[in-house]
Amino acid sequence: MATRLSINEIRYIIDGVEQDFRTDGRAAEDYRHVELESRVLPNTNGSARCKLGKTEVLVGIKAEVVDVDVHAPHIGKLVITADCSAVASPKFVGKGSEALENDLTNILSFIYHSTETLPLKELCILPGKSCWQLNVDVLFVQCGGNLFDVASIALKAALHNTTLPKVRVSGEGIEMEMEVADDPYHVWKLDVSNWPICITLYQIGCSFAVDPSEEEVACSEGYVHVGVLPSGDVSSMEKSGAGNIDPTVLLEMVEVGVRVGEDIHNQLDKQLEAEKSLAKL
Amino acid sequence: SSGINAEYGGPHECANRTARNHERAIISCSYNFASFGAAVRKKKMTADKKTTEVGVMIQNTFEAAVMLEKFPKSQIDIYVQVLQGDGGERCVAINATTLALINAGIPLKDYVCACAATVFQDSVLLDINNLEESYRGPLFMLAVMPQTESIVQLQLDHRLHNDHLDKVVRETIQGCRDIKVLLDRQVKEWTVEAAAAYEIKPRV
Repeated sequence: MATRLSINEIRYIIDGVEQDFRTDGRAAEDYRHVELESRVLPNTNGSARCKLGKTEVLVGIKAEVVDVDVHAPHIGKLVITADCSAVASPKFVGKGSEALENDLTNILSFIYHSTETLPLKELCILPGKSCWQLNVDVLFVQCGGNLFDVASIALKAALHNTTLPKVRVSGEGIEMEMEVADDPYHVWKLDVSNWPICITLYQIGCSFAVDPSEEEVACSEGYVHVGVLPSGDVSSMEKSGAGNIDPTVLLEMVEVGVRVGEDIHNQLDKQLEAEKSLAKL
Repeated sequence: SSGINAEYGGPHECANRTARNHERAIISCSYNFASFGAAVRKKKMTADKKTTEVGVMIQNTFEAAVMLEKFPKSQIDIYVQVLQGDGGERCVAINATTLALINAGIPLKDYVCACAATVFQDSVLLDINNLEESYRGPLFMLAVMPQTESIVQLQLDHRLHNDHLDKVVRETIQGCRDIKVLLDRQVKEWTVEAAAAYEIKPRV
């Protein structure tokens, strides 16, 4: 994944970003063409495949009934695991991808761990006893820059089509029993209208850009992940990578991140609504 | 329905100098399931005995099919990842690897087509899915080079009565021949596409 660039190529790329005209003709705020496909894995509760430039991500969500967390007895759980497939690069065979996978898992878990923004209350079955745990597995089939954003778009799409079996709760007090429906059409869907998307802004030279290609990532120093909600609010923020970011530039970055995030939410929601009319469930 | 990604790497210099062979290339294969691939979710896909065994099986299969003498002292890597497992994953893995090697331009002696079968109430069922596999009837897998009809790989799990053996082998080989037709069609499609870029019309 590490690209080798000459000094002149690096200079060319940095100059391009600073002048708002990148090597592929995009402006600093432009995303590449996004391809999204839903319900690609029939034996999962929800799935999506997202392709952005050279990056391709497959998200599969499987749900299981587990005991609640003692510290949070009224909400469900969301466990995100990132995985770099050996198919993406020979370096990822065996333990080669561990560092990158840990990084991806931590950042994605961080974006999606806020209990105030996520409707995890919906996932609770028996308060204090059982809840749904959504195991989200993010598989990177191809890595070509901007891994976090693609993963979060695919995640939102996968959550949108996740179906959970209805659970019938009967009895009272300690005698409470639950029965998970067997019928594959007796299901309910989550409300994803308030789930965030991660927008990553990379500092390149004196300026910054979204959705960089691999070569642009190699020229960047430091990047900021902003979790943007559809309403335009910021749910989480984290700075990663080596490099210093000026505080005024940081404020600009967040502003741009929010703008781009809202736009992506709009487009994504439109497509997901259109998809609803196609599906029977 | 099972879905598999197969990718190949190489031929490149042998990573492990002791395994290097002066006359031919060696093949190294890595096979695993994605976390959401199995019916019951497996948390982390570490190399367990079963997946290592399948990796070795694929390696042996292709050592018979690839013209290894063309690449002495080199190594060819094959990575197979099961995205969705619904029965017959080993067969799909072999078929996918054949296509990947052809796509890469690695010289093969012949296609390698694999098919799985079982016997249920005296009739042979081809291409069994997960539900049919869990019935615990005989699980017969065959990998065949269709032109010469030579068997490259054969695996049988559970018990199969000797009376059924002949029938099962014949029908499975026919199944493999049918798969060859499909693989061939795909290869011809690729060839036409690739040639179109050079404005050549190949005779297929």
